[in-house]
Amino acid sequence: MDFDLNYLLAQWPALLDGVLMTLRVSLLAITFSLLIGVLGGAARVIKVPVLAQIVVLYVELIRNTPILVQLFFIFYGLPAIGMELSLFWSGVVCLSLWAGAYQVENVRGGLATVENGMREASVALSLKRSHYFCLVALPIAFRTSLPAMLNTAISLLKNSSYLQAIGLAELTFVAVDRIATDFRAIEMFSAICVIYLVLVAILALLTGRLSAHLQRPFRQ
Amino acid sequence: MNFLVENWGFVSKGLWMTLRLALVVLLFTTLISTLFGVLATLKKPLLSWTIHGYVELFRSIPLIVNVYFIYFGVPMLGLDLSPFAAVATGLTLWGSANGIEIVRGGLESVARHQWKSAWALGLRPWQIYLYVIVPQSMRAILPAYTGLLTMLVQATSLGALVGVGEFLKVGQIIIERATVMTGVSPAFIVYGAVLLVYFVMCSLLSWLSRYLERRLGRPVTRDNHQGVS
Repeated sequence: MDFDLNYLLAQWPALLDGVLMTLRVSLLAITFSLLIGVLGGAARVIKVPVLAQIVVLYVELIRNTPILVQLFFIFYGLPAIGMELSLFWSGVVCLSLWAGAYQVENVRGGLATVENGMREASVALSLKRSHYFCLVALPIAFRTSLPAMLNTAISLLKNSSYLQAIGLAELTFVAVDRIATDFRAIEMFSAICVIYLVLVAILALLTGRLSAHLQRPFRQ
Repeated sequence: MNFLVENWGFVSKGLWMTLRLALVVLLFTTLISTLFGVLATLKKPLLSWTIHGYVELFRSIPLIVNVYFIYFGVPMLGLDLSPFAAVATGLTLWGSANGIEIVRGGLESVARHQWKSAWALGLRPWQIYLYVIVPQSMRAILPAYTGLLTMLVQATSLGALVGVGEFLKVGQIIIERATVMTGVSPAFIVYGAVLLVYFVMCSLLSWLSRYLERRLGRPVTRDNHQGVS
């Protein structure tokens, strides 16, 4: 089995399309999952009556079931009761819901580290509850839970490869599709492994810079 | 839920396959993680760098790519692998990468002076490991490791993609059959039921892990609270 680099170069345009699709799905889903995380985490910490229990159930349900089954449920199951989603949006919804559950826990963990003194100080300054939450607690929580959020985002990026199973033309789909016709498995897998490694590294680098930026006021 | 009851023989076969896959993966993952996790704590540069590289590589590659790589790639190297073996290998490689990190982190979380004290008391290295380090590291290892176990059970559903007749695959086949026979797709109910069964299995595991954590964590926790100021 010889390693054919020219083959990879010839396949580069197809792989690039796959990368772009992976990025589009992942970035959309990362955004939505963060939204779910902040709203869900807030609902749990503030203890909004019914909503807090629903969030607990949602988090447990997502964390204790395989993402592949969730994906099939959304893509094949929901249309059966009339909730049709396109291929692309099924993927985005699935990844958002999956990562959202983890982000809820991250945000909740971050909010738990905010000292009680902050709350007392806010009361003393006669800040409203909502102001305290949005202007004091959340920014602090965001800084502490950023590494955990990054981990979830990276997992989401990697898990976008599950969308191959429903036929969304992202990176893994392109690779597996080409292997089925050209039988160049070693080349293709080496290529997509490197691409995933690079994508993860870029995401980590960006968040690292954001983290450094957020920590700046607190450095001595 | 009807479909699962009507096809019970078939469904139970799928569940049994999931269980078998999970047990095989768990067994090998535990063996490899323990061995290399311990080796990684020995201060041998070449060895620990190799293990570190393996861990980082397999943790950065999507699990599904890993499984496909074994499934499509290994036969091209001339080895014949059944789908079951391919999935089991893929999951074990991934699980071990995570497991090694958990074991290594757990062992290294035990304070340095414990080693030195045990050494000063004249214990042999294997005795230090067995009586001093391992019991204390279990507190850090067990919760993380049972978490990994839950993830591995969930990951066995990947078998459906390469044709292992496990639980999710059985669900797919039931849906296909019912769609052909009745013209209506029962996908919502069947996948809902599959979700529910996985949820019950994994919730039980999580519950068990929390229970074990409490049981094993208790004496160590008490001593630590008194001893360390």
